[in-house]
Amino acid sequence: MTSLENQIRNSARKFLEDGQVSCVIGYERDARGRARPAFIVKADDTERLIWDSDCSLNLVNYLHSRKSPPGKDQPIPKTAVVVRPCDVRAIQLLINEQQLKRENIKIIGITCAGTDINHQLRTECEFCQERIPLIYDVLVEPEKPVELPASQDAYADIEEMESWSSEERFDFWTKEFDRCIRCYACRQACPGCYCFECVAEQVDPHWTSIALEVPEKMFFHVMRAFHLAGRCVGCGACEAACPMNIPLGKLNRKIAKEILELFGYHTGDNSENLPPLVCFNPDERLKI
Amino acid sequence: MPNQFEPKIVSFLCNWCSYAGADLAGTSRISYPQNIRIIRVPCSGRVDPLFVVKAFLDGADGVMVLGCHPGDCHYQQGNYIAQRRYSIMHRLLEFTGIESERLFVDWVSASEGKRFAEVVTAFTERVRNLGPLPLIGTKKLSKEKFQEVAS
Amino acid sequence: MKVTTQNKINEWLAGFLQKSVVIAPVETEGKFVYRQIEEYSQIAWDFERTDMPPKTAVFPMTEPILYIEQGSKTILKNPPLPKNKIVFGVRPCDARSMLALDALFINKEPIDPQYAHHRESVTLIGLSCPQMWDSCFCTVVGGAPNSTDGLDILITKVGDHYAVQTFTEKGTELTDKLISEEKDLAIPKPVLTENLPTLQKSGEWMELFNNIFWEELSQSCISCRACSFVCPTCRCFDVRDELTAFRPGVKEFERLRAWDSCTAAGYRRIAGGHNPRDTQNKRLRNRFYCKFAYYPDDFGPLGCVGCGRCIDACPAGINILEVITRVEQMTEREKVNG
Repeated sequence: MTSLENQIRNSARKFLEDGQVSCVIGYERDARGRARPAFIVKADDTERLIWDSDCSLNLVNYLHSRKSPPGKDQPIPKTAVVVRPCDVRAIQLLINEQQLKRENIKIIGITCAGTDINHQLRTECEFCQERIPLIYDVLVEPEKPVELPASQDAYADIEEMESWSSEERFDFWTKEFDRCIRCYACRQACPGCYCFECVAEQVDPHWTSIALEVPEKMFFHVMRAFHLAGRCVGCGACEAACPMNIPLGKLNRKIAKEILELFGYHTGDNSENLPPLVCFNPDERLKI
Repeated sequence: MPNQFEPKIVSFLCNWCSYAGADLAGTSRISYPQNIRIIRVPCSGRVDPLFVVKAFLDGADGVMVLGCHPGDCHYQQGNYIAQRRYSIMHRLLEFTGIESERLFVDWVSASEGKRFAEVVTAFTERVRNLGPLPLIGTKKLSKEKFQEVAS
Repeated sequence: MKVTTQNKINEWLAGFLQKSVVIAPVETEGKFVYRQIEEYSQIAWDFERTDMPPKTAVFPMTEPILYIEQGSKTILKNPPLPKNKIVFGVRPCDARSMLALDALFINKEPIDPQYAHHRESVTLIGLSCPQMWDSCFCTVVGGAPNSTDGLDILITKVGDHYAVQTFTEKGTELTDKLISEEKDLAIPKPVLTENLPTLQKSGEWMELFNNIFWEELSQSCISCRACSFVCPTCRCFDVRDELTAFRPGVKEFERLRAWDSCTAAGYRRIAGGHNPRDTQNKRLRNRFYCKFAYYPDDFGPLGCVGCGRCIDACPAGINILEVITRVEQMTEREKVNG
């Protein structure tokens, strides 16, 4: 049991014992040694909580089922959640979008050494400069400080793809989307995707058919990426959830790169800046 | 010209400026290529990126969005929002392999009939040179050989 | 024992490719899926269990059912009979899943014509498992790594040779050219996973319907549908009438069906907005009950063949084997207490 895990368990226990929250959402280990979400309601069960590089699903997603009163005249439940720095930006995003109230959440923030996807460190984690969450109620710190990577181009793989010809990129994405089974796991795992009815499934207006053909799947992925423009926090839950290993994160990171370059905006900043797609500057003339 | 590729272009024209500009081109008897299918919207800010992607998905080879010049929007702000949206959409489409030259966003005022025709002609040529968008070709389902059954 | 060699198998497959559609496991970006192949060299042999099941050969992800031209009285249906399809490299669990699908689609009225067409045209050639793989539990649900149910032909690797067994007329005819010799070969028994639970009967499951266990389990479910899509026996689908916009000059509607899953939030939502399975709890519980209680009660076979793909696919770590174990434990406790 590492010191990180001790700290998580102790904070979770305290939150539950003091009655500050009714549930702690964290990770536990399953019988096969994999990390999976855990919903702890009893103080003694906090011993189940763990932390390792397999913890790659964004637990903030589960706050969507705990953001409304469970019944008439009942209060909104209070929840504690174990988060990485990228996950915590999703909490800020949802607060900005009026989905969550800060006072209902206790944030157990992890000083993060990176998490894996398919048993390999995520590309985003390789270059991440933000190892401490922006907001937290408890900061969980390791014994040895986490080393920051030497500043490298976080978008090197995106830039590489930009240097390909249009045809090469088209072939790449049509090959990836051919493998897609349109299960919507990516959308379901994403904390930013909480529409009651997704455009990909709407009958009226009818945007796209339910067929599992490449143009329809491309529609879904392109529009999902666009609807997350300025909202995606780069947590990688979509890639972790995809049963077919599709590199979905590339679409979102391409947009994040453009938004950063054009508007200097990084999703989840606790600031007065409005997201760039809901505001404008009358003097700007953007190259379209 | 026989056997020339005729691109299908879907155009979203804002009611107050570009659509009026298109009308002016018509009344002035200025001709422009017939490839464009015009959809009138109240404002370029009404053009949801969903429309653009759906147009490409349903077989359009090029999509055009024309609005009022910045500062002249009938609704004050719509074209600024459109500008932001399409600056991102452009780059996203380019990244997925749909050439950004297939999406054309520009500003045409109600008095610019001649300019409307010029802009449409130039864009049609541009898309013609790019060729058809291969997206529809990736569809696998076909209704060939379905047998007819009288109702 | 009739045996053959790798070379002869390759030749045999090359022969089929001349006149039939051959579907076999291929590797794509680290995932093993069943695809139509053009050359036998495309086949991936080193898989344990494919990531997508072969049900796509009889139940495609998307399928048009009929076409109607607007304003006309003509309906186009009855798609052309598919060519003979050889599905190669089917694991014994996946072959049993075909029998489970048959129980619903063709063994009981109304018969599904699309499925019936596909099913009639496929020949299933199995590849035996030398062992139960990580997360497999076929023995819990009445299967085995060397089960022959549902197969036309079963090939088992034994040293340098492959033992060939046939179970149907179709199978025997097809293996005519395959066999190289008769050899006195003993097929080793596959290695089984130990300490697996016992599956309870549907009646026992129904006793536990309102147990709080389902509520707790479903908290981590994100309704992603991945489990149903990788499952060889899941067969729920959505049907929509849609305008076939891409056929110029003709305003035509096509009725499409596509895979869907009972775990999706809107799956059971009906006109007017009512949703009988409006919570995660009800939906996830339904998935397990369908497999282990409703399906066997209504159709005969279990709705699960123990392949374990859902265990690998679930992003939230929900494990069907754990569920079976818990149900066994809860049932035993009831028996002791009750």
